[in-house]
Amino acid sequence: MAGLAKRAKRAIGSLIKLLLHTVGDLIAKTWFWTESWLLDTKKSLYGLAVTRILIGLTGVGLLLTNFSTRLYTFGSGSAWNGELAEPVSDFPKIWLFSWFHMVAGNDALFTVLYLVLLALAIAITVGWRFKIVLPFYFVLWISFIEMNDAVGDQGDNMYRIVLLLMLFADPASRWSFDAARRAKKNFPTILPREISNLLHNLALVALTAQVIFVYASGGLFKAGGEPWQNGSAVYTPLMTERFGTWPILSEFFTNWGPAVAAISWGSILLQVAFPLALLTRPTRIIALIGIMSFHIGIGVLMGLPWFSLAMIGIDFIFIRDRTWMKATDIVLDAFRDDTEKSRAPGSGSTKSEKSEEASLPAGYAK
Amino acid sequence: MAETTPRPRRRPYVRVVMIAAALFTAWHILASFLWIAPYSASAREIVGQERLSSYMIPMLGQSWSVFAPEPINGDYRFEVRAVVNGEETEWVSASDVELSMIRYHLFTPRAGIVGMDVSSQYKGAWGKLTEDQQGVVGLNYFKEDWEERMETALDAYGADNVSAYMDQERRATAYATQVAIAIWGDDVERVQYQAIRQNVIPYNQRHDPDAERPGIQYSPSGWRGLIEVDGQSQDAFTKVFRAQYERMTN
Repeated sequence: MAGLAKRAKRAIGSLIKLLLHTVGDLIAKTWFWTESWLLDTKKSLYGLAVTRILIGLTGVGLLLTNFSTRLYTFGSGSAWNGELAEPVSDFPKIWLFSWFHMVAGNDALFTVLYLVLLALAIAITVGWRFKIVLPFYFVLWISFIEMNDAVGDQGDNMYRIVLLLMLFADPASRWSFDAARRAKKNFPTILPREISNLLHNLALVALTAQVIFVYASGGLFKAGGEPWQNGSAVYTPLMTERFGTWPILSEFFTNWGPAVAAISWGSILLQVAFPLALLTRPTRIIALIGIMSFHIGIGVLMGLPWFSLAMIGIDFIFIRDRTWMKATDIVLDAFRDDTEKSRAPGSGSTKSEKSEEASLPAGYAK
Repeated sequence: MAETTPRPRRRPYVRVVMIAAALFTAWHILASFLWIAPYSASAREIVGQERLSSYMIPMLGQSWSVFAPEPINGDYRFEVRAVVNGEETEWVSASDVELSMIRYHLFTPRAGIVGMDVSSQYKGAWGKLTEDQQGVVGLNYFKEDWEERMETALDAYGADNVSAYMDQERRATAYATQVAIAIWGDDVERVQYQAIRQNVIPYNQRHDPDAERPGIQYSPSGWRGLIEVDGQSQDAFTKVFRAQYERMTN
């Protein structure tokens, strides 16, 4: 009897030991996996490069679109709105972000600063000296866009937050002038490599959180509204002058009831489902195609092209580097002439993917 | 998680920085979550409303209840007329003039929505006045110090919302002044404007050929003396507005 109790005790002891060991092992594995994920390589380099390009193009596009009306909307022609005397936005009151506010009285200086900002936006797009250009662009952009709070939209906030997070990341290490230069020197980093990787990956995590929170809450806010519930919500804004800038198209898209319901409900479903849809590849593809169509619709039909382009740009971080490389490969392959192909048999997508992998410096995974 | 997760030796400082940065990111994400999600007082208790605001504002300020819970269902227009050399002009819709910059344009300048915004902000402030105060707004105020006299008259019926209204009154009048001078030149003596709101045809009537848009909602205001704000360049305003006006009328 005593022996049985002793053996039972031993068995329980072993089980507990096993449990602790398993849990400990799991914790250790999670820890090392996370550590390796954060420190060893930079994630989503191609996706973030595309985001950088489209964010840059958004800036270029917005500045060109508003160039001929710049003084009317943001400069000395807009003093009547009182924002020159007393800004509505917090930013012009902060010294660092008051550049445009300071020169608003002088049309020539305002224009010079506007052109400087445009040049910086181009530099961001092509990824030229990105690490140096971005802080200046960030400061000058905010200082510009916050000059007229009344005509701003939520896209301005999203844009600012994305630029802020990009300061910590490395969006110019692919498809940029910097990339070409840095590749020759094995992609040097300013900070120690592991720290540079860490900041990049955490910025990516924060950016992901930002985007999925925005979509999910946008969906939740809508779900509470009667017109969204009865599936007619997209009709009324498209009929207004402000958000129905193509009346013929507005009429076309709102003509057939089931389509209106599908677009209205689809918007909510897509937005609310977005975070979880990202988790597996097939649902991710559906979510990304859906949300990008949603933004193209907003951009074209509702007269908000630059807001939409920025949002589309951010969504591209969710496409894996492997996919980008495959796509690049297909494009390059199409342009390679046939003689070259026949000389190098088997130069399919797999091969050049491998060769690109091989040419990546240590610490740069895809 | 791979079976063979590498367990390299890390320099201690790297781990310290990693933990600190990860904790900060976690805080940032928690704060962003609480701020972006539909408002929940109980959820925000975790960090405290004040701490949350001071972290998020201004840099991370944002609000995503766009087109929700009910999307916009009407137009805001802003019409202006003036007395020029003793004679009243016709009404001109400033918002229509600007609208021509964005309608059927893929790339829409923000200049196209300025007048709509003036109208919407003005109408919002006007709507908060009492009926008596709205009566005062309908009177003419254009002689010297009219703004002060008007404010006093409004205050007589209660001071709530008056100062917010006067800000919008000033903004709308200053805009109307620019519009009037851009169209009719320097001889403009006084202006009158109307901020108008009109809803679109309701969804279930959209196929009815006889359907008419619901009635126009006015916010009647009287004649006003001109307001020209310091630093205003009439030239910069006129150049853009006048060109659109001529394109529209010709």
